[in-house]
Amino acid sequence: MFILVSLAYFAFMIGFERHKLANGLKVIVHRDEGTPMVTTNILYDAGSRDEDPEATGFAHLFEHLMFEGTQDIPLFDVPVMMAGGENNAFTNNDLTNYYITLPANNLETAFWLESDRMRGLDLAEERLANQKSVVTEEFRQRYINQPYGDLLLLLRPLAYRVHPYRWPAIGMDISHIEKADSISARRFYDRFYTPSNAILSVAGNVDPDVVFRLAEKWFGAVPPGDRPERKLPVEPGQTERRELTVHRPVPAPHLIMAFHMGSRESRDFYILDLLTDILAGCDSARFPDILVRKKELFSEADIYLSGEADPGLVIFSGRLRDGIDVRKAEEAVRSEFERLTAERVTAAELDKARNRYESHRLMSYISASNKAFSLAYHEVLGDAEGINREHEQYMSVTAEEIASTAGFTFRSGNCSVIYYLPEKR
Amino acid sequence: MRDSAIKGAPEIITPSAGDTSLPEPVMLGNGVPVYMAGNGTVDLLRIEFVFPAGQVMEEVHLAASTASAMLTEGTIDHDATTINDLIDSTGAALTHAADKDTAGLVTVTLTRKLDDVMALACEVLFSPTFPENEFRMLTDRRLQAFLTSRQRTSVIAREAFYEALCGSASPYGRITTEDDYRSLTTGDLREFHRKHYRPENMYVTVAGSEPWKALPVLERHFSGNGTGKWKKPPLPSPILDTTEPGKVFRDVPNSVQSTVRMGWKGITRNHPDYQALQVATMILGGYFGSRLMRSIREEKGYTYGIGAVAGAFHGIGYITIMTDVANAYRDETLDEIRKEVEKLRTGEVSNEEMALVRNHMMGELARLFDGPFSVADAIRGIIDYEAGADYYTRFADTVKTITPARIMEIFNKYFNPDEAFGIIAGSR
Repeated sequence: MFILVSLAYFAFMIGFERHKLANGLKVIVHRDEGTPMVTTNILYDAGSRDEDPEATGFAHLFEHLMFEGTQDIPLFDVPVMMAGGENNAFTNNDLTNYYITLPANNLETAFWLESDRMRGLDLAEERLANQKSVVTEEFRQRYINQPYGDLLLLLRPLAYRVHPYRWPAIGMDISHIEKADSISARRFYDRFYTPSNAILSVAGNVDPDVVFRLAEKWFGAVPPGDRPERKLPVEPGQTERRELTVHRPVPAPHLIMAFHMGSRESRDFYILDLLTDILAGCDSARFPDILVRKKELFSEADIYLSGEADPGLVIFSGRLRDGIDVRKAEEAVRSEFERLTAERVTAAELDKARNRYESHRLMSYISASNKAFSLAYHEVLGDAEGINREHEQYMSVTAEEIASTAGFTFRSGNCSVIYYLPEKR
Repeated sequence: MRDSAIKGAPEIITPSAGDTSLPEPVMLGNGVPVYMAGNGTVDLLRIEFVFPAGQVMEEVHLAASTASAMLTEGTIDHDATTINDLIDSTGAALTHAADKDTAGLVTVTLTRKLDDVMALACEVLFSPTFPENEFRMLTDRRLQAFLTSRQRTSVIAREAFYEALCGSASPYGRITTEDDYRSLTTGDLREFHRKHYRPENMYVTVAGSEPWKALPVLERHFSGNGTGKWKKPPLPSPILDTTEPGKVFRDVPNSVQSTVRMGWKGITRNHPDYQALQVATMILGGYFGSRLMRSIREEKGYTYGIGAVAGAFHGIGYITIMTDVANAYRDETLDEIRKEVEKLRTGEVSNEEMALVRNHMMGELARLFDGPFSVADAIRGIIDYEAGADYYTRFADTVKTITPARIMEIFNKYFNPDEAFGIIAGSR
């Protein structure tokens, strides 16, 4: 059994080669001959945590502007489509990520496009005005015009007092987006969209040497820029429980309980990732079994990690059954947290969580674009090789570690609670 | 293309769809067909079991989706807790869902856990008991989710669209109410399951690095069920009301955006125009730089996104355009959509635009056949709708050869403004 597991482990190391250009651009290549495609992924080390508190949502607005064309390539999408590719991007609290997936024989088109928009962007006022209006509608569509859509908008400023995680990537308020101007757009671009602040990761049916040569050809002459220093305020440890009650036109109450935890690279992350899987990762996990089925308090009960690079949150999120008192429901969640320190999780539970982790990991490696992003992500955390070290981190988590981490994390003083209640009829 | 002519730009190699042929099935001893898609390096298998057990087969509303949801809530041998525990211990993902026309179970498992997972799959598919207590809890949860969804403009607009298009008596246009949840019984589920989850109705897809490894395991667990040859059962022809095109408004109080939909009756997948209609819809609203995206997102800034899709259920096709916009712009949005459609009915697309969409769709086809899991999905689309084994080859041919004149013809044939359904769901 041990041998089988070890073989599986070694078989699924993600191999890659790395190279750094003189201007600071880091290039990573993973060769996957099982696909006719290739993904070119560019990660910029700039997210909403790097924004001015008076101008939040800017990193994400900027992501939209990156598709608005340049002097040489006015329509970004046209060459991507001509080459048979697809592309998209996302922004979160930590970073902004762009990718193009296309047939491997058109790889150079992706390099041409990405190097062009790294070198210069058309930041005309009218393009900005239009994207401000698009992002405002995105804000409304995702966060306002959805039942329970503003839950996380409420949580961040409650859980964080000083760290920029106190606002979400979409921004603290629509008014911030409306205020954005092209001078601050230019400043943001010059500061963060430089080779020394980016990671280029390529995965697919490609020869690494060819990729390095193309990287030099297209990105080599982009001016390096200064790598921006990140000096973020450190969130002080929370010592007292925080509570917020809101009323909204929704059919059922919702309970949020959020606890501060360690950073993405801390041991905390792996322990709590497995623990939250034991609590709510599948139908037979504790919360669905106990809180939903046996006690019939919740119709859904989930717990997950926010997963940011800096110290993040463990978030319990539960929709209550009809007629259940929210304090009584909270009490039941709390007693599940207490049980974690009073008794150890079972070997079977831990084994199940590890099996599920292994399946998920393999599942995510089916797609070359996932591999490209994961490599870039681990590189921005410090080292792309981290992608191959995580397995060991997960496998070595013990029941004792889970108990002590749970005891420390789920303290009442470390908790921010939201009672999201239906309006009185 | 203007852009590829830019000085210094790399030459673009015209994308090709690659191999779009589909595998022949292998039959289990009892005649169940198994379609295999093999490739890749990751030691996982995805095995899907498909039955013609969707909404279209319902005699009692909600029976299809609820029967599917209850499969893992108890079997002859195990209660819900034990079943879930057995499944989760293997690390496998097991999902079951019913849609309009089919229902199925998808398992994704490490190859070394295959035997355990198949034993469980067989158990939940063929010996569920639909216990009363689990049914009551599940119905409560589903009802709550249903009530929450009543506040989503997108849900209300979708429902109003299919009702307008197919008629409220059709399984595709029927509106779900709270009463449907309250009147459903476990007897309805047992009856639905007995009739529609039958080995002789089932087919299987296996995707992964070495799919043939699954054959002996499937044989062991499934060939004891049923005898005789697999036969795709005839689906009942959906009852379609004669519906009148026009405008529908649905009030969703307090919403800050409205969902706008416009649509037409379409065609089924085996219709000779189906592929050409796909290309036409792509031009109108199928990609980021489409006519509708350029006009309504990029020029007007009314929306975060707008899309157009042509699809088909069993026996009826549809064309639909959908978007979420600020309440103040909803009427203008409908007008703008009409204008964009009219342009395509009265003028040919340029050769540049034609080439762009052609290459884009070839790239999409290539991605559709990239990797065994995608191929398995493509197989499903063809079998479920009797689209013909050469469907994707014909699709690739159409994409390669279609002309601007033919596109205009399609818009004139299928996008007549007098036959359009316009739906708005938002606050009054």
